[in-house]
Amino acid sequence: MTDFVQYVIDGLAIGSVYALIALGLVVVYRGTGQINFAQGEMALFSTLITWWLHDHGVPLLLAMAISAAFAFVGGALIEVGLMRPAARRSAFAPVVIAIGLFQGLNSLSGILFPRSGQGLPFPSLFPNDPDDFWKQFGVAIRIERVGVFAVVLVITALLFALFQKTKIGLAMRTVANNPESAKLVGVPTGRILMFSWALAAVIGSIGGALKAGIDTNVSIGSMFSVFLLSAAAATLGGLDSPGGAVIGGLSLGVIESLVGNYPESWPGSDWIGIETKTAVAFLIILVVLLLRPAGLFGSVKVERV
Amino acid sequence: MPVRIKSGSALHWALRALVLVLLALMVWQMVSGAQPSTLGKYTEAMALAIAALSLNLLFGFNGQISIGHSTFAGISAFFLGYSVRFWDNRPFVSLVEACVLCFVIGLLIGLPALRLKGPYLALVTLAVAYVWPTVAGQFIARKVTAVTGESALTKFRVDPPTWTGLKASRQDRALYLFWVALVLMLICYVIVRNLRRSRAGRSLVAVRDNETAAAVMGVNLSRTKTLAFGVSASIAGVSGWLIAAKIGTIDENSFTILNSIKYILALILGGVATLTGPIVGAFAYFFADDYLKEHAPNWEWLPGKFGDGPIASFLLGVLVIAFVFIAPQGVVGLFRSIGRKIATIVPEPIRVEPIAPATEAIHATIHEPIDEEP
Repeated sequence: MTDFVQYVIDGLAIGSVYALIALGLVVVYRGTGQINFAQGEMALFSTLITWWLHDHGVPLLLAMAISAAFAFVGGALIEVGLMRPAARRSAFAPVVIAIGLFQGLNSLSGILFPRSGQGLPFPSLFPNDPDDFWKQFGVAIRIERVGVFAVVLVITALLFALFQKTKIGLAMRTVANNPESAKLVGVPTGRILMFSWALAAVIGSIGGALKAGIDTNVSIGSMFSVFLLSAAAATLGGLDSPGGAVIGGLSLGVIESLVGNYPESWPGSDWIGIETKTAVAFLIILVVLLLRPAGLFGSVKVERV
Repeated sequence: MPVRIKSGSALHWALRALVLVLLALMVWQMVSGAQPSTLGKYTEAMALAIAALSLNLLFGFNGQISIGHSTFAGISAFFLGYSVRFWDNRPFVSLVEACVLCFVIGLLIGLPALRLKGPYLALVTLAVAYVWPTVAGQFIARKVTAVTGESALTKFRVDPPTWTGLKASRQDRALYLFWVALVLMLICYVIVRNLRRSRAGRSLVAVRDNETAAAVMGVNLSRTKTLAFGVSASIAGVSGWLIAAKIGTIDENSFTILNSIKYILALILGGVATLTGPIVGAFAYFFADDYLKEHAPNWEWLPGKFGDGPIASFLLGVLVIAFVFIAPQGVVGLFRSIGRKIATIVPEPIRVEPIAPATEAIHATIHEPIDEEP
């Protein structure tokens, strides 16, 4: 039982990172109807900038802030410079751009940070020595995990406040609901989309730093699986639902942690081990999507001809 | 003012013959005196072309995005490796069996496609591509390493049969595989082309353009979409078979998501929803990549060597983004629009039969000029 609680807590910590990146995907999806396939690589790039700054003596929090500012500008530039002109050309052009960005940013990271292929040591925001834990009812709660979870919780709360309580959030919801009508009532759609992309990039930079902190390491390949799982989390929750993304991310983290830690007690477990835990998470999503094609909390669009 | 050439006229046929002769000359040029390594590169480019053809059928003509096509290639490659090595299967028997297997698995994966659209479907196929290497790794550990102690599927050589007069040497095997690849690519091309021009192909495009409207017109949505997935999967299987036959050693990392992305890039470079686009794009991609890796300059101010993998793949990413703006229809689209300025093919006026009038004429006028070769 204590093991179970332990695994759930571990899963919640990593799941909260998935939830965060998934929120970045949802923000872009609501604005443009596109999955940003480059979200993970954008996060990777910002995380490597954080690493570089920290490596040159900048305190970690400040490094994260600078990198977030960089991500904000970068995300906005990508939207204005690439996505918007591409969207005018054809419906699938933004997908192509995102795939190109994926390839380009990933290799650019490898070029600018030559040692990132093998993995660079990354500091954690929280104490993460082996003995940094609270013992409570026989459960060892690692301070780092709780810290990551708390940070994500705060950021998520701030994002929800932004969506629900501010004027810019109202505008974002309007654009998500119906871009044409939004334009007609005077919402600056272009600026809102720019802001959405910038916000998604900032979320990615924070999520990337948290993930790298948990792994104590960042490498070129490390954000790809995070992107996949976050995309899966967003899909599970419904791509246009921020609340769904959070629930999807957390439950995916817990599922992954449980499946990975109880390999012997699952059916067909001789084929599903720790390496294949992600496969199980994806299978669950597949089943959910078959039952509810728009995800758990997504809205079903009615199409007119 | 471009020259107007009547469709089916003597000049039109002469042009077609000229293109065929030029292509034949090109193939002859490729084969004559080529090193085994060069022939191998052509073979790999043709395997990429087949994969891009299969993706074009699904994405270009049916509008379903799949990032999971590397999985079908992987399944087929593993089938070849395992069946030739352990069941003493003949390579071509295993090709047919692998195609059937991929078709069935493609149908199964196509089932969610009935309910999922656009990004959701892309994510499901992404999941499939992500899961494949772990399954393949388990397969190797259980069925290969446990038996032979090797960590990859190897020792399944595809040797030329005796009637070709080719020996089992490196040169002859490369030549043999080159011809096999060429024939397979042509077969896949003809399959896609004929499918595109048939009733089924028109349903595919109708579903792509507007599902609801297509259903109202009497297109069976579920059958069309799953069949597109199945056929596309088995063509992707041909590509995997060819790659496995060429490289001769495959493990769980031979067919990852990055391969799927490569297929997509090749398709985009060549031109989505054009018949020849995948082939042109695959060759363009393959040789651009190859050239960048080998001949790039070594600039001092760069942290790494210019010819290194990352820079080549970075430039490919840039190239793909640039293509959206310079040539959104790919290389084929670019050449076509240039060609149109020089000469246009004017179709014969359509004779409307009294009994089955409207639909055929509409299809003919709407769709034929879009995907028809000039």
